[in-house]
Amino acid sequence: MKGFLKQLSPFAPDNSGVVSALFELGGLIAICDAGGCTGNVCGFDEPRWFTMRSAVFSTGMRDMDAILGRDKLLVEKIVSAQNSVKAPFIVLVGTPVPAVIATDFKALRRMTEKQTGVPVLTVESTGVNYYDKGASKAYEMLFDTFAVEKLPVDQESVGVIGATPLDFSSCCAGRYIGEAVKGKAHVYGMGSGLEEIKRASANKINLVVSPSGIAAAKLLEKRFGTPWQIDVPYFPEELLAALPALEGKRVLVIHQQFAASALRKKLIACRAADVAVGTFFMTEKSLFMAQDRIFKEEDDPAAAAKEFNADVVIADRHFKKVLRDFKGTFIDFPHFAVSGRLWEAK
Amino acid sequence: MAEQYYFITASELAQRGQTQIPDELIGNKHLIYSSPATLAFNSPGAQGFGVKRAGLAVPDSVMLLVAPRCCGRNTSALAAPGNLGERFFYLLLDDTDIVTGRHLVRIPEAVCEVCRSMAAPPSAVMICITCVDALLGTDMERVCRKCTEQAGVPVEPCYMYALTREGRLPPMVQVRKSVYSLLKPLPKRSDAVNILGFFTALREDCELRFLLRDAGVKEIRELASCTDFNAYLQMAEANFNIVLNQEARYAAADLEKRLGIPSVELTRLYQIDKVRRQYQLFGAAIGAEFDDAKYYDEAAEAVETFKKHHGKISFSVGEWLNGDPFELAVALLRYGFDVPEVFGTVGEGNFVWVKKIAQLSPGTRISSNLSPTMMLYKDNECHCDAFIGKDAAFYHPGIPGINWNGEEQPFGYAGIKALFSGLDEALRAGRENK
Repeated sequence: MKGFLKQLSPFAPDNSGVVSALFELGGLIAICDAGGCTGNVCGFDEPRWFTMRSAVFSTGMRDMDAILGRDKLLVEKIVSAQNSVKAPFIVLVGTPVPAVIATDFKALRRMTEKQTGVPVLTVESTGVNYYDKGASKAYEMLFDTFAVEKLPVDQESVGVIGATPLDFSSCCAGRYIGEAVKGKAHVYGMGSGLEEIKRASANKINLVVSPSGIAAAKLLEKRFGTPWQIDVPYFPEELLAALPALEGKRVLVIHQQFAASALRKKLIACRAADVAVGTFFMTEKSLFMAQDRIFKEEDDPAAAAKEFNADVVIADRHFKKVLRDFKGTFIDFPHFAVSGRLWEAK
Repeated sequence: MAEQYYFITASELAQRGQTQIPDELIGNKHLIYSSPATLAFNSPGAQGFGVKRAGLAVPDSVMLLVAPRCCGRNTSALAAPGNLGERFFYLLLDDTDIVTGRHLVRIPEAVCEVCRSMAAPPSAVMICITCVDALLGTDMERVCRKCTEQAGVPVEPCYMYALTREGRLPPMVQVRKSVYSLLKPLPKRSDAVNILGFFTALREDCELRFLLRDAGVKEIRELASCTDFNAYLQMAEANFNIVLNQEARYAAADLEKRLGIPSVELTRLYQIDKVRRQYQLFGAAIGAEFDDAKYYDEAAEAVETFKKHHGKISFSVGEWLNGDPFELAVALLRYGFDVPEVFGTVGEGNFVWVKKIAQLSPGTRISSNLSPTMMLYKDNECHCDAFIGKDAAFYHPGIPGINWNGEEQPFGYAGIKALFSGLDEALRAGRENK
């Protein structure tokens, strides 16, 4: 049955992806909801919320606000908060409520910009899509708004787009990725802030570490001619240490496509017999191989493991629930967007 | 332009009066800061007892969440083996569903699928719906009737309508009605009572039980103590209900209307003399005379012993705790302690305590956790020796205190005794760690 989950719980939604991409950049993030969505984002999908302060707010919509479309009141609330926070930019994030009442985000943006004098970004997430779609929109809008000046290219400068705790299951992923990249790495949104984004045109190359970074990388290529490539330069040692033992095995890797495909390369290097990638999330055609699968429903991973005749499944252990008939080896590869579990807590 | 977090002194607030509460203290007048200090109560379902967990208070029931994926996301936190995860099912809505409401026709099929997937049929299926259906105006009672017809098990709605949080029937009021809605009329027993209001049980040592037994009550039932569905159904034989949380008033009224069970309301208080007075009034209402001297003395001794050991210390009092922060602050002030700050939501029900604080400690700062300016609160900005409440702990890292938000519900003299015993333990541990 479409959209019916008996074993799994829902994965991170698009509004969480938006916040994850923007969390460290110093903006005032207003989630247009009644409070529940913000609670989900802050209380569950954003592990940095408990160690780092960020101006993430709920607009606290009530039934009458939704029914009467009280945009003016909403803008007044945002202006009042901005007077306290003095953020360099403001982001309005969509949820199911504005999607149902067809909120005019463009009008909200104009009204808010006029009254605050700072750039306002609007990301029309709906809460029904996966996190990567929201993060993708957020990155694209961010670079479109702030990376406008053409600067001389710094041969050492490398941009990294698409790193979030939702993808890399670690609050320290920015540092780990930065250390693994050759050159001066700018891991946007995880260590590198708004000023670095404004100087993105100086990058010699952009590395895209998750599907959510593709749209922004393409935008920068079009605007400044900056080349980009897909690369996931960092995996936890614990996972890498398990790979040599998989020589001769048929391995199914379930994760976001870029991480799973990068792991496939490492498994092939370790002489795995064959490797398939399965994902519920966004995919890039160039990485897709014949044996790969895009999952829609919770039964699909089990079907893929059977069809591929996998000896080994590498996935977040949350998927064990739907792989009860799988008798091979299971290797845990946490995916925060799936289970809400960090490597640090493993 | 604010450069500091917002607070108002108790004296200023009391002078303004209940009709002139500043916007910064009113949740729907500003953006909401969902700091870690607020997650349990600001977002129904995020932590603690939200609608989702509360809806499953009916023994052997399961929940089908019918919503966009974002509404069910944090349920993963409850998904650990042996936890509630095995009792949650989801029917996720897509873009078209949230605009057209076409998902409604799939709900009966999903309920049947839930029942088929279980080794034994559930006692009930609770259908949790969210803001989308609030806006679509879904008649969920009707959908539930259809589900019951097709699946052959009771199906009840749970409304997780965050949009109506400040309305007449907010989600946590509605869900209390939902969890008692499966009770059917039974012959009354004069020696049976129910305790309504919490989703977890009262402390084992709570004197309310002992006092009721002394008064001849033989069966004291709470939802959380019902080990199975049959035990739950027996709640319908109660002679009267005792409401310990005002959010259960609506449920109690429904039980009176449907099952003829009247109710009496008691308040959780930390002022020892008020606790005594309340028991006297309660006794008079039910025609019993409670001998509470032993429990009173124990609680009074706990307060005195604490004072002797720790002196006139100061407390930061939060609202993420089992109690009303303003009443608790009054109690602490009356016991002789200082309360430099209180975090809480001021309203009709507790303004009387604000006025009392203004008399006893006019300079006490009152703030709302939800104000965006709380982002500017610097750690330990208002000096206090100890905290009470999980939110107060957030603002005061490094000082001792207790979260006082545990699942075992404190009440009456036993609550006072446990509070000071917990504080004593925390302060002693704090000293040892220094």
